[in-house]
Amino acid sequence: MKHPLSVSQLTVNYDNTPSLWDISFEAPQGLIGLIGPNGAGKSTLIKATMGLVEPLSGKILFFGKPLAEVYQRIAYVPQRESVDWDYPITVRDVVMMGRYGHLGLLKWPRQADEEAVDHMLELVGMTPYTHRQISQLSGGQQQRVFLARALVQEADLYLMDEPFIGIDHATETFLINLLRTLAAKGKTVFVVHHDLNAVEKIFDWVVLLNVRLVAAGPTQEVFTADNLRAAYGTSYSLLDEAFKIALQKQHGV
Amino acid sequence: MNILDYFFDPIFRGPTIGTMLMCLSAALVGAIVLLRRQSLVGEALSHSTYPGVVLGAALAGVLFGESVSNTTMSIFILTGAAIFAFLGWCGIQFLERSLHIRSDAALCLILSLFFGIGVTFASDVQFAYSSLYMQIQMYLFGQAATMTDFHIALYSLLSLLVITIVVVFQRELELVTFDRQYAKTIGVRTFLVEAWITLLLILAIVIGIRSVGIVLMSAMLIAPAAAARQLATSFRSLLTLTALVAVLSAFLGNYLSIEIPALLDAGSLSLPTGPMIVLVATVLCLFALLFSPGRGVVLRLVRRLRFRHRCLCENILKTLWKLGARETHTKAEILQYQSLSKWHLTLILRQLQWEGWLSLSKGNIQLTHAGEQRGGHIVRLHRLWELYLVTCAGAGIERVHRNAEEMEHILTPEIEAELTRLLHNPQKDPHRQPIPPQELL
Repeated sequence: MKHPLSVSQLTVNYDNTPSLWDISFEAPQGLIGLIGPNGAGKSTLIKATMGLVEPLSGKILFFGKPLAEVYQRIAYVPQRESVDWDYPITVRDVVMMGRYGHLGLLKWPRQADEEAVDHMLELVGMTPYTHRQISQLSGGQQQRVFLARALVQEADLYLMDEPFIGIDHATETFLINLLRTLAAKGKTVFVVHHDLNAVEKIFDWVVLLNVRLVAAGPTQEVFTADNLRAAYGTSYSLLDEAFKIALQKQHGV
Repeated sequence: MNILDYFFDPIFRGPTIGTMLMCLSAALVGAIVLLRRQSLVGEALSHSTYPGVVLGAALAGVLFGESVSNTTMSIFILTGAAIFAFLGWCGIQFLERSLHIRSDAALCLILSLFFGIGVTFASDVQFAYSSLYMQIQMYLFGQAATMTDFHIALYSLLSLLVITIVVVFQRELELVTFDRQYAKTIGVRTFLVEAWITLLLILAIVIGIRSVGIVLMSAMLIAPAAAARQLATSFRSLLTLTALVAVLSAFLGNYLSIEIPALLDAGSLSLPTGPMIVLVATVLCLFALLFSPGRGVVLRLVRRLRFRHRCLCENILKTLWKLGARETHTKAEILQYQSLSKWHLTLILRQLQWEGWLSLSKGNIQLTHAGEQRGGHIVRLHRLWELYLVTCAGAGIERVHRNAEEMEHILTPEIEAELTRLLHNPQKDPHRQPIPPQELL
């Protein structure tokens, strides 16, 4: 079987994003954690796989194919802070965005789209807020809306950027259960995560990262004291610094 | 003058219908620009059209002589304006992307550079073709009153184009303005959508400068959308409200520029239509900023004052409860605990009596049964919160009172129930004072 996500020799060095150097791994189906300290390049990795950041080199394949051929099977959940929550839009309209790929002529929603949206809103417990403007939502509710938007895409692979940040306890429990259910249904879910405490409880498989790949594999094998020291220690901090200087030299700054 | 005359009279229908169409298209594009936080781009691009206007007019003058027809002239000028607006946009992109200049500085540079070139050209034209110069000046400050049926036709066409594009691509526009990166991941060609937005902006500006002028154009783009933003809860309602405000401002601008001089019976006074439209739109925008139900400054102030008043009322009930819920008290006793003027206290006591919380007779104040319950409830919330702060939030005993003074007016029944559960239905607060039990209330 083709791996849901395989990354080979990926290198990214881009103005304002943390850099990545020579990352290679092949992830199996399941619930996968992308772990590393701040500035390790976790979000950069996700963005590079989704084509939002241009890599210097490297190859990324989803289910053995390049993104352009399979983008409809992949759903991205950006960080909550990436959008303006004061934007005049209702909860329902945000979730409807996820149906964009399914919409008919002139992008009018059809009955199936309406029902998919209502169903997912109910699943994430946001039905009472359907017609509210998004500015009235709490952090946990915002995350639920983003989840619903990704779920209506009916994808096979989900990439979630820091979904656990700034959410309430109930949403956290809900999210963990949801991730498990998705994995049990044969989906693959990548979750960027920076809190080490719950990693072993949540994830089957882990990618441990700090500019370069520290380790990737089943959680018990990767989550060793040595690997964690390597990822969270200071030995890698020079790497990113040197890359940024190299970038400046190339630009002649 | 009859209102219908504005739409049917051969002299007035040109300006009225023409400006309404122009405002509609400008405002719809403005709404998108506002959401993208690019309001100043409109300002820069409208000024960039000036050299285009001058060159277009000069070219038409050279090719067709002084007797050039209005239609030909308009087409030359509009084309020149569009070309230079596009060049201005390219300039902004170059400064931001290649020279890494911050957006505000880039806009400022382009605005003054292009406008400066325009002024230089214009002063040359002024001496060579003085009649053309009049035409050029018209675009600088706008001259809606001289618009004809030809303008209605031209602007209807252009406005229809803008409206169609906005309506057909509204989903893409919404996606790209709300969450550009996400839009890319679900297969929206963001580059194309952004190119369309630029094209629409240039189109809207070119349509608009004839009636409100280069200098005031950006107000026409932004004011209706800014007003609508105060009320809109969805992308579609934003577009609808923006369109309404725009059409209303255009009509009122025309109406007032004719009716005010007539009303004042001052034949010499003339109010130009373009600036009048901008003024109306700005006043509507200001009105929305002040009075919109959710975000308006005035209503927020009213709500704040009402909350403060409620706190005061509740504090007085609380004081009476603490002084002895079943006994009578005097104003002087209350004033020992609450700092407010005697006059103000009298007013509030009257209100509380009117609402049935207490009874007043000859200066004696006594809580009613309902008042006793409400006073006790406030004390309960106060003491529950203090206990919560000390036991669950680890706050020092001496520091919790002030916070509880505020929270006693805020805590909802749901939070109260949760506190009761969390603290195991407590009987005493951290200061060993009894917490009034819930059953009694």
